[in-house]
Amino acid sequence: MSNGAPAPSAVVARFQGPRRLFSSLEGVFNEEVFFLILCVFIGIFSGLAVVCFRLAIDWIHLALLGPLPQTHSWRLFAVPALAGLVVAALVIHVFPTIRGSGVNQTKAALYIFNGFIPFRTAVGKFICSGLAIGSGQSLGPEDPSLQIGASIASALGRQLEISRDKLRLMAPVGAAAGLAAAFNAPISAVLFVIEEVIGRWSAGILGSVVLSAVSSVVIVRWFLGSEPLFRIPVTAFKRPSELLAYAVLGIVGGLASVAFAQSIGYLRPRLKALPRWTQYFQPAVAGLLIGLIAFLGAPQVMGAGYDSMDQAMHGQYAWKILAILAVLKIVATTLSFVSGAPGGMFAPTLFIGAMLGGAVGDIERIFFPQLTGSTGTYVLVGMGVLFAGFLRVPMTSVFMVLEVSGNYEIIVPVIVANTFSYLISRGLLDVPIFDMLTRQDGLVLPSLEEDREETILRVEDAMLPVPATILSAEDYVDANERRVQDSTDAIFLVRMHPSGWSTISRDQLQRLFREGKGEHTLGSVLPQQSLPSLYPDLPLDSALRYVNDYPLVPVANRANSRELEGIVTRDSVFKRYEIDRTPVGN
Amino acid sequence: MSWRFPKLIPRSAPVILLLLTLAAATGFAAVSHLVARYNANQQSRGRKLYQQGLADASANRYDDAINVFRAALTCDPTNSQYQLSLARALRDSNDPRRLDEAESYLIALWQRAPQDAAVSLALARVAAHRGSIDDAIRYYHNAMYGVWNSDPDANRSKARIELIQFLLKKGAPDKAESELMALATALPPTPDAHLQAAQLFAQARDYARELAQYEEVLRFDPANAAALAGAGQATYRASNYTSARRYLQDAVNANPQDEESRQFLATTELILRNDPFAGHISDAERNRRIAVAFTQAEKRLDACAQEKNIDLKATVTPAEASGPALATGSAPSPLLALQSLWTEAKPDLARLRLPAETDLPDAIMDVVFQIEQQTAATCGQPQGLDRALLLISQKHEAANQ
Repeated sequence: MSNGAPAPSAVVARFQGPRRLFSSLEGVFNEEVFFLILCVFIGIFSGLAVVCFRLAIDWIHLALLGPLPQTHSWRLFAVPALAGLVVAALVIHVFPTIRGSGVNQTKAALYIFNGFIPFRTAVGKFICSGLAIGSGQSLGPEDPSLQIGASIASALGRQLEISRDKLRLMAPVGAAAGLAAAFNAPISAVLFVIEEVIGRWSAGILGSVVLSAVSSVVIVRWFLGSEPLFRIPVTAFKRPSELLAYAVLGIVGGLASVAFAQSIGYLRPRLKALPRWTQYFQPAVAGLLIGLIAFLGAPQVMGAGYDSMDQAMHGQYAWKILAILAVLKIVATTLSFVSGAPGGMFAPTLFIGAMLGGAVGDIERIFFPQLTGSTGTYVLVGMGVLFAGFLRVPMTSVFMVLEVSGNYEIIVPVIVANTFSYLISRGLLDVPIFDMLTRQDGLVLPSLEEDREETILRVEDAMLPVPATILSAEDYVDANERRVQDSTDAIFLVRMHPSGWSTISRDQLQRLFREGKGEHTLGSVLPQQSLPSLYPDLPLDSALRYVNDYPLVPVANRANSRELEGIVTRDSVFKRYEIDRTPVGN
Repeated sequence: MSWRFPKLIPRSAPVILLLLTLAAATGFAAVSHLVARYNANQQSRGRKLYQQGLADASANRYDDAINVFRAALTCDPTNSQYQLSLARALRDSNDPRRLDEAESYLIALWQRAPQDAAVSLALARVAAHRGSIDDAIRYYHNAMYGVWNSDPDANRSKARIELIQFLLKKGAPDKAESELMALATALPPTPDAHLQAAQLFAQARDYARELAQYEEVLRFDPANAAALAGAGQATYRASNYTSARRYLQDAVNANPQDEESRQFLATTELILRNDPFAGHISDAERNRRIAVAFTQAEKRLDACAQEKNIDLKATVTPAEASGPALATGSAPSPLLALQSLWTEAKPDLARLRLPAETDLPDAIMDVVFQIEQQTAATCGQPQGLDRALLLISQKHEAANQ
């Protein structure tokens, strides 16, 4: 053109350039790749939300309770009580889905609601949990962060209309991101979500959860720094005999976990059953009582309590104070949680464990001064003990302590103490706390602990002994026919050459003999298709696939597949299932 | 209320990712702004609390200071100055339970800036509170060789002096002396510095180097009364009484109100006038001094026996007098044995003038020295001539060794 404007074809080409680029990129992003990239964004958005959430809690705390620790101030009970009224009104009228910690809601999203968590939950959780925790309710920010992350992820997944299968996974992916950001501990968050929420491992799940957790932690560290939650003192484990001391801590922690869980399990349904109007006042009364505890000299029980845990770790409290704080925190957290104030139990669990650990360690050192573990070591181990006993997440509890402390020297005491705590809690309390809460809410979610503990029937449980007569495919038909004359069996197993198994009935064999095929090898007259074989350790369910099609199925040795361990038949498998179904004692 | 978002996002994966990137960048910018504002507010609040904490700490209200510093740290958790001040307050609160926490803060600071001399000094003081000599030496050395923000020479010198005082207090004079020698080589040319070093050498019982420090001061300021008195006492403690008299006389002249130097001078005069082993005196003078000492020893023995209600007329055999009973101080009273020795030696006084009796002065003075040393142990440190005789005995023993 004479005026210098581009020709129409050139304009079209300019517009088509990016379009071509996009369409060529379309091919790169299959659903799996796109989902993994999406997980990174979920981590980023969750991290940003958790940063704002933490700032909001700090800001509310400063605004309502002031920067300095208060003692004997009217604010201590007025602030949580008044904030409790506001929270109750918001929860009842605006955000009815945000009660509780948020872990169960995330599980429900995965198993019941196809990954659906309303975005309103994230907003409500942010506002109400921030207000409750900032005003001094004895709750922590981790579980709300987890739910905020899950809610953001779910909303994003719905907006992008990803497949239902992937949408279900969005909630746990966001949960891992939220929890990792709140704890500044990606490994523990990933393990918790896998152990408690998803309940199964696969490369795809692990990859997506790890990506979101790591990216959220990067965001939190970018804004809030990489300072750990606690300044970890020098911790050491010197003598194996001291494991006994940690085992005692595990036992005490297990009992405390049971008491804590029982008190919540007992009070929660009773308070929920009270007339509806009382729910407006329950968080306020809880706040008032917690404020009273603080007013009377234990302000440490208010809020998440990380500062107090830090001080306990550095031996700032005598054992009596530590023990009193542990008991008061159980009371305060129970009050806050059962009142319906939204907030988490992770931080209070760590607090109770820390105080209990310090108290038990100090008492043990009074009686056995030769113990070398510092108060800080017992405090750290105690945190894991309550995590294992109360939340019943044994793997997460171990890694959480290691990740928070950055010290692998105490891994053995942590494992020993956590094992005792977990076993005692499991022995005394049938249902873990999260499952208990779910059932109280009338939901039936899969109990991952039950899944873990369920006895799996295996092939060896239904296995019959190796038959006395096994025929060989290399022998002649007449030789095999003579061999079966001494047996009462109707079906015979045939060892094929060079490997594999087949079957033949007595009638079939005799018919072959009568047809004059006695001079043929058995292998030459049998169909070449060999029997499927099983292994003794396979789940019995896998035998169900074959027992209807074959009269018997060989069970081979894994080291040498020609060596027979036994056989299974339809009858033997079904009988085994019947025995398993019969109640004990019948 | 509707919480559903309109479905605005197109179905193209690259476009979605582009939009998500834009959303993340926007969110990042918004949160950056929010965090920056929040941090600015917090830092301002933290500064106010920090000043309040410093005021509390300087008024020795450590509990209040600790609370306020903690609050300041919640406002600005990574502020090294707040952490250092909190650690100092925890350390100085005289609560042993708080030392761990103080140390934890300081170790974290030290790991971040191992060259920071102020942090090393604070860690050294924690180690000193714990009484851990090796750790204290390590951290004091870190402080001496670390980076100081202001006046590094004076701060290093102070750190070394603190270490020396700690080592002396913990009964490690050998380690203290090696630090002292290093200190002496790098002292600023001021009388105060040399005087302080001299006092530290005195505590380490290194009187020669103590004197050298005083002489260094006197080189610049010959009339410095403190240096003169110190030099007099250093030479006195080193049993160099001739020099001691000269310094002490000058000290008294320079400062007539210096009673301590006057007393040292009086004792020094008595020593110089009554030392029978002085080299420049005649035999007659020596014999006279021995006789005076011998008589004084009896007086001292009587006075001490009276003070302890011991009857010196009780009989003690010569074997007992010279045997292990006297040496160990077991019953009968060593004073009785000394009385016996004194009585036994008394006739020897008359034989002092005989030229053949060359060992006799030593033998008689040995009795005198035993009496003075034993009575000092039994009845406390003497005064006047007895004190002079006791010091002469110590000098004589040191010379014999």
